[in-house]
Amino acid sequence: MSAEISHRQRLFLGSVSVTGAVVLWQAVGSFHLVPKGLLATPAEVVAALIDIARHGYRGTSLGEDIGATLLRALGGFAVGAVAGIPLGLWMGMNRYASAGADWIVQFLRPLPPLSFLVLLMLWLGTGDTAKVGLLALTAFPIIASATLAAVTQVPRQKIQAALSLGANRRQIFRHVLLPAALPQISTGLRIALAAAFSTVVAAELMAGSDGLGWMIFSASQFLRNDVILLGILILGLLGMGLNTLLLSADRGLIHWRGRE
Amino acid sequence: MRYLRARPQWLVTIAAIIVVVVTWAAATWGGLVSDLLLPTPDELWSGGLDLMLNGYKGYSLGGHIGLSLLRVGLGFGIGTILGTLLGLLMGVSPTIDALAAPFIEFLRPLPQLAYLVLLIVWFGIGETPKIVLLFLAALPVSAVAARDGVRNVSPARVLAAKSLGASRAQIFRHVVLPSALGEIFIGARLSIGIVYATLIAAEMIAGSSGIGWLILDAGRFLRSDYVVAGILLIAVMGIALDRLLILAQHRIVHWAGR
Repeated sequence: MSAEISHRQRLFLGSVSVTGAVVLWQAVGSFHLVPKGLLATPAEVVAALIDIARHGYRGTSLGEDIGATLLRALGGFAVGAVAGIPLGLWMGMNRYASAGADWIVQFLRPLPPLSFLVLLMLWLGTGDTAKVGLLALTAFPIIASATLAAVTQVPRQKIQAALSLGANRRQIFRHVLLPAALPQISTGLRIALAAAFSTVVAAELMAGSDGLGWMIFSASQFLRNDVILLGILILGLLGMGLNTLLLSADRGLIHWRGRE
Repeated sequence: MRYLRARPQWLVTIAAIIVVVVTWAAATWGGLVSDLLLPTPDELWSGGLDLMLNGYKGYSLGGHIGLSLLRVGLGFGIGTILGTLLGLLMGVSPTIDALAAPFIEFLRPLPQLAYLVLLIVWFGIGETPKIVLLFLAALPVSAVAARDGVRNVSPARVLAAKSLGASRAQIFRHVVLPSALGEIFIGARLSIGIVYATLIAAEMIAGSSGIGWLILDAGRFLRSDYVVAGILLIAVMGIALDRLLILAQHRIVHWAGR
């Protein structure tokens, strides 16, 4: 529709707008355009970063908070994947399995994750078990239904071709079904990890004693705006990092994507 | 891989549902699980009925539902409209795209609840921070969907319109927009799911009304019958919101797939 711009121009324009926003943000703070206490300036956020990186925040170090958040998100995600992928594969290959279990997955999938946090906290208390359980329940239906959809969409001809060449069920699964389904399963995993990452922060805000969500919540009670903004920035960068990591893993491992 | 064709699948689904319900009834009536943790079927029924007739702490059930829907409607509505406009601009102009992309790419994977506390510091604890939160949740999703929708318009169609003498405005109105609408609606469905999940979380963390707050508060008083009834209600409303969008999509993008 219009002229393309080069990668370098794009990078340049991007850094211009980010720099502009940071300068504007600093100016709003320096010239007291908004009441003090409402917005910490970039300089104050950097100072908070240095302070927290050195001395930690209320007893936990920054590394511990980041680690706690990531560990919970990845732990819940892993449990969801370990349960969701086999179930999805089974449902995809056996229509009685899918008739028996898919309604549970389809009920869980549109349910906002935090709604079952209340039940989980009643059952398991407010500790890490409830949080990891919550994240597993967040990731599981997304992964299971993506896997089911992936298996169902494998072209029948491919399986029939393998059958007519004398492949047994095991070989068909290993050499036909799994490679054809993996790209879509991987997309499901990416969506599930993003959902788990969003949910972990909400869970830490509600009931936590460490993690980045807790840090932000605690900072808000002490009106530490610099720490809140720092937490938001770290979470945004972590989210972008996780997504990039999974994208490159996808590209490296599923090199046949788009070339079936 | 079909082997057994004898029994229809829906029988298996019904059987599975019956097994789950019977297990639940046996576990709760039999005293295996305390009714503080999970209500018995009759408690769930009477609890749900009680909610429907008497409401919960100051609001009728309809009031809680209405408040939640109002928040979703405003946040999703404003966020989707502005996000789509921004996305269309980004799709049409690579310069605008390059300028706005860093913020959109930052906002999109950011856990929505992270900025709730900041919004509460800025806007107080009323309705404003919640609606702004939902707006910010919807904005990047719909912007990316609209941008990709514009980018994926087949160049052949644009060239065909051009060679027939269409102006830029005409191309946008009659070629680009209709082709992009499909993806815009896919983005809208994605975004209503995110907005709805964010709303429930926001009501639980900082609320005094709405269905998310209802189940949190009921949980504090160990009213598991209200909690489970509320979760079922939240599920039904979530499915209804999604269906509503599909309906609108079929109405508006009636040419999809043709």
